[in-house]
Amino acid sequence: MALVEFKDVSKIYQSGDHQQKALDNICLSIDEGKFVVILGASGAGKSTLLNLLGGLDSPTSGKITVDGKDISTLSGNELAEYRAEKVGFVFQSYNLIPTLTVKENVALVKDISRNAFDPEEMIEKVGLLDHLHNFPSELSGGEQQRVSIARAICKNPKILLCDEPTGALDSDTGVMILKLLLDMSHEYGKTIIIVTHNQNIAKMADVVIRVRNGKIKSLEEQKNPLNVQEVDW
Amino acid sequence: MLFRKMLRTVIRYKAQFFSMIIMIAIGTGMFLGFNMEWLSLEKDTKAFFKETNFADYRITSKDSFSKKDADKINSITGVDRTARYISVNADVKGTENMVGLTVTENPNVSGFVVTDGEAYDENSKDGIWLSDKYAENNNVHTGDEMTLTYDKLTITGKVKGLIKSGEYMICVRDESQLMPDFKLYGYAYITPKALQQSIDNMAKDEAEKNIRTDIPKTMRDDIVKETTQKIADETYQNVWHQINVISSLSKAEFTKQVEKVLDRTLLILTKDENISYSESQGEVNEGKTMGSVLPTLFLLIAVLTMVSTMHRLVANEKTQIGTLKALGFKDRRILWHYTTFALSIGIFGSVLGAVLGYFVAWFIMNPDGMMGTYIVMTDWTIQFEWWCWAVLTGIVLFLTFIGFLSTRKMLQGTASDVLKPYTPKNIRQLAIEKLSFVNHLSFGTKWNLRDILRHQSRSFMTLFGVMGCTLLIVAGLGMNDTVGKFMDMYYTDIANYSSKVQISDDAENKDALNIAEKYNGDCLASVSVQYEDNPISLDIYKMKYDTVHFLNENNDRILLPDDGALVCMRLKDEYHLNIGDEIELSPYGTSEKYIVKIKGFNRSLSKSISVSEEYAQTLRSTLKVLTYTSVYKINTVFTKTEKSKINDSFVLSVQSKEDIMKSMDSFMEIMNLFVVILIISAVILGIIVLYNLGIMSFTERYREMATLKVIGFNDRKIGNLLISQNIWLSVLGILIGIPTAYGTLALLIKMLAGEYEMSCYISLLSLLISTVLTLSVSLAVGLIIARKSRKIDMVSALKIPE
Repeated sequence: MALVEFKDVSKIYQSGDHQQKALDNICLSIDEGKFVVILGASGAGKSTLLNLLGGLDSPTSGKITVDGKDISTLSGNELAEYRAEKVGFVFQSYNLIPTLTVKENVALVKDISRNAFDPEEMIEKVGLLDHLHNFPSELSGGEQQRVSIARAICKNPKILLCDEPTGALDSDTGVMILKLLLDMSHEYGKTIIIVTHNQNIAKMADVVIRVRNGKIKSLEEQKNPLNVQEVDW
Repeated sequence: MLFRKMLRTVIRYKAQFFSMIIMIAIGTGMFLGFNMEWLSLEKDTKAFFKETNFADYRITSKDSFSKKDADKINSITGVDRTARYISVNADVKGTENMVGLTVTENPNVSGFVVTDGEAYDENSKDGIWLSDKYAENNNVHTGDEMTLTYDKLTITGKVKGLIKSGEYMICVRDESQLMPDFKLYGYAYITPKALQQSIDNMAKDEAEKNIRTDIPKTMRDDIVKETTQKIADETYQNVWHQINVISSLSKAEFTKQVEKVLDRTLLILTKDENISYSESQGEVNEGKTMGSVLPTLFLLIAVLTMVSTMHRLVANEKTQIGTLKALGFKDRRILWHYTTFALSIGIFGSVLGAVLGYFVAWFIMNPDGMMGTYIVMTDWTIQFEWWCWAVLTGIVLFLTFIGFLSTRKMLQGTASDVLKPYTPKNIRQLAIEKLSFVNHLSFGTKWNLRDILRHQSRSFMTLFGVMGCTLLIVAGLGMNDTVGKFMDMYYTDIANYSSKVQISDDAENKDALNIAEKYNGDCLASVSVQYEDNPISLDIYKMKYDTVHFLNENNDRILLPDDGALVCMRLKDEYHLNIGDEIELSPYGTSEKYIVKIKGFNRSLSKSISVSEEYAQTLRSTLKVLTYTSVYKINTVFTKTEKSKINDSFVLSVQSKEDIMKSMDSFMEIMNLFVVILIISAVILGIIVLYNLGIMSFTERYREMATLKVIGFNDRKIGNLLISQNIWLSVLGILIGIPTAYGTLALLIKMLAGEYEMSCYISLLSLLISTVLTLSVSLAVGLIIARKSRKIDMVSALKIPE
């Protein structure tokens, strides 16, 4: 059974009299443990798709099932619980809490997740044990993104949702971050869904979904994805 | 186009914009209102004193003044006008009321203005010009007949006019009455001719009463006529114990000149020693004190919050400022654009503040308002002086300058620098965080703690706002507690009597002692004495029935010593007196001097020195005192007998403790109103300051809260984080606010009511109410802001670049 299922999902944004269809009757399913890349140009609808899956937004119509549970009709608090238990987010702009240290940024998920891992262990995995007591402003962009990954995985979610995780990083750091993401997800058995416009990342994916004008243009399963070192960055 | 942008900026920040206007309006309004109040009181009373020819000096003597004495004083260079003057408390026949029966030989000295009826006619023999407030409260009208009795005199006449007089601007019977009660006490002027007429009538009655009946009628008529004339002449010449004078001379010069022309020492009181003048000017000074303490705090809170808010608002607009700069707008234009935002807040806030100030001043200063129950005068114009305009202009300019500085700070650097969003300073680990317990704090605690440290000015302003709100509420309630406790202390612990009996002037000490014996009372003789050039009261008590108690500065009961004096707290502070000191007192009208030894200090309503009769007698026998009875005369008897059971020919008047308490009630009513104004304003200001800063905090942490929400924190948890920061700052603000309020209250009490020798007191209930009220305000505002977390748009919030 698929971990994620979209059935006739549409999302329409209303702005005055103007309606914008961000997603148009999308149907897709993603199996557990897969590394999925969603590709598309700006405004194609890929971030909307990610937001709906992440429980940040609700669809206008259709049904989204994650781990057997319909999340399209959940209330605000139920969605918060869903986000706390099922999904971890990694953003392009890291979104760390500036007034909390590295350790505290990761540890704060323990306040909401029942199955969270040990925060220090996660920080060790991302190689920032020396920076436990540093604040985000004292770290480089790559380091901040590593904290963000540690925080996302620490919750022990089913799915890791990444919105342009390397978008704000230089190429070398981006490669390092992707490797870390893959290693971590393999080690902890997570499904990773990355939204990006970077075609190269798609070469590493088990599944590549291309989105255009709010519709799924293609869904391609790659039999032999490259590993991160093999990709020509 | 920029103007349109400004309007839209206003709409975007409408909560901050309008709250800043309200804040400035309240701050300015309270400041101006309280200051306009004393200013109006000062100017209006001054005008009224001038209008009614209020006397500058009152010369009193045990011996009556002759017409010649008045003329001699009038001839002194620097003396403008004089009038022999009488003011005694007379009974109103058919009622239990009294009026200050007043006669002035010159209506241009200590006169009055007629508000209804006929003008003063010095030839009238039956005219009574009655206090309009007394008339109103007792349903007396012009044309009504009225009979007044004083001692053996009966004055019957028609109310010809209703009046207001500067001499009775604060119309109280004596110092023990704190507030006027026009139902029970007023004043009435009659002409010297009307006085002569009533004296003639009294003289005739006396002559007829004492004539032998065995004398033939014709002879009897002659004797009666002759005796009447004699009694009348003697009486008329002996009733003038006071001369009122209008003069520009200094007291020292005036005293010197008067004593020179009359060749005797006299008790000369300046207008500062008259209740109407001193109390009204005391009100002015109290107003100045009030205006310079609490309303200044209001203004300070408002302006500082405005500084903080304006800075944040411009910081939020930094990217837009950068965009304008990048587009090619000159710095000057951008500066002006954002400065107009502050300018318009300043203008709207100040104008509303001026209107609010007018109403606050009017609320206190109007004939039917708070001050109208205390002071009676003709003109109640609310004054607005140049410095009021200066304050308004200053606030507008200051706020504009703040807007200018905030914008200029954001404009610094290249267009590309300015385009970057404003980021608060980076946080670093504090020394305290190295302590192990900090690591055990919850995430929310650490988050809030660091946010407070990161946004210090905002946190400080919140703290300051809460502290100010607490201070105002505690000080307001504390003022009420202090006065309440004082009254309770005075009338429960000090006054152990039921009735205060005033002995008539013609009674001798033996008569007074008889009355005291009859009603199981204690006697008091108050003597005006001079101490270091100032008049004070030497109170000599003959105690037997424990009707009067004495309290020391700790409010503990002390006994009146037999070997020394108790000195009131005010004299102690004013002259830095200590126990064991010896002070020299000289009764007015004599050249005698007493050395009095201080044995203790007590709380007293009047500036007085209290001694026992036993001690007074030792003074007489050991020092250079010549006569005993010439020095003091018993004028009051305190007794536990009820007012209704007291009746004696030598009793001038009887006041029950309830009568005195009743006048205190009016005083308390004014105080309560004042406290209500203070609390309402404090709560409004507290709400606005906390809301404004709360919104600011919410806006600044929006992205962080969106992150928390994405991670899986629900709205309640996020709301709790927001509320808990508010609560922390509120608790801290309250903890600082309470002792500050205590200090402020002590200062206010000392400045406002030094004459009552009150000790500052804040009840536990007041502290509880203040704490609960402030925390409720904080919690309510926190809840309103916390509700906003439900509307956090996670998607767009997290797209904003760091």
